[in-house]
Amino acid sequence: MTVHPPTAVLVSLQRHYAGSVSRFTAFAIDFIVSSGLFAIALAAISYVAQVVTGHAIAWNKHDLIIGIASVAWYLLYFGYSWATSGRTFGMAVLGIRVIRADGAEIDPWRGLVRALAFPLSFLFFGLGFLGILVQREHRAWHDFIAGTVVIYAWDARAARLRFLAREALPSASPDGIARR
Amino acid sequence: MTDQVELAAQGIAERVIDLVVQALDVNALLLRIDVNAVADQVDVNELMDHVDVNELLNHVDVNELLNHVDVNQILAHVDVNQLLTHVDLNELLTHVDINQLLSRVDMPLLLERVDVDSVAKRLDIDEVLRRIDITALLDRIDMNDLVGRVDIDALVEQTDLGTVIAGASGGLVTDALDEVRSQAVGLDQFIDRWVARLLRRKDRGPLAPPALLDAGAQS
Repeated sequence: MTVHPPTAVLVSLQRHYAGSVSRFTAFAIDFIVSSGLFAIALAAISYVAQVVTGHAIAWNKHDLIIGIASVAWYLLYFGYSWATSGRTFGMAVLGIRVIRADGAEIDPWRGLVRALAFPLSFLFFGLGFLGILVQREHRAWHDFIAGTVVIYAWDARAARLRFLAREALPSASPDGIARR
Repeated sequence: MTDQVELAAQGIAERVIDLVVQALDVNALLLRIDVNAVADQVDVNELMDHVDVNELLNHVDVNELLNHVDVNQILAHVDVNQLLTHVDLNELLTHVDINQLLSRVDMPLLLERVDVDSVAKRLDIDEVLRRIDITALLDRIDMNDLVGRVDIDALVEQTDLGTVIAGASGGLVTDALDEVRSQAVGLDQFIDRWVARLLRRKDRGPLAPPALLDAGAQS
């Protein structure tokens, strides 16, 4: 299914509260990327250990150390991203970002709090995320705790111009006037 | 008796006066009169005080008088340039009600008589432009308003500007991102509409933090 909102809507949505699909897709990308990076890190550690000691390390995902390390890694991944730039890799792909509820830029401490509160939204079968779907400002529990919101931040006007440019490209003539 | 004598005396007096007047050489008499001396003794101002000039002018047929005047002949003797050197044009213009004057001018008729092509040919555009303070002119232009009136979409579609933009910013990744974001926003709105319908919301509520909405309106 292809859903293209009108251009005027796209442009006017910049700075508006981001919707559920954009946020969920961003999280999915972040989860895949961070999990992939974590797996690569474990594989790298195992390889180094084998080279140094001659014994390969067999990682078990049920190990307590792996559990603690993964939680620490996810906190670092999300906390560092939100604290420094207000967006993770997945959010950058989807063109959304975290800001303070009053519209100001997010500060590092608030980004860290958001990362620490983030797991709480997974409790009770992800009940904390329901706010993204039904709440008027699309805020989850961790948003309320950290005093943050997520907005559209991508330049839809530039995207629109690029789209028009692509459309005009085959019909543009040497004299500078497009033939339609 | 008395009446008859009086009548006789009156007749004699009138006869004598007639004889004297006939014998009098008025021209010779006037020659003996020093007119300048007489004039010196006349108080002209005092005399003019008794003259009602308006009443006098009422009896003058000015049009008839002007018919006898050869204005061109008079003007031929007038050195207009010399005359104008004595005229303080600025002072003169302060007494002129320009608006009143312009209201009496038939502009369409005036413009019909103007040979615009001829005026344009005589116009030194370079000189005019040299005297224009471009900076001051630009200061008075609301650039934001001006740019706001430009149909950017039409500009990109109708000119090679689109090619330039595509060449400068296009790329597989950029295009893919635009597509993914557009799709996501479209689905966001689709879900929002259904949620609002299920929850029977009549208003959409706040669209963005107030500070960002204000910033968006100003940009």
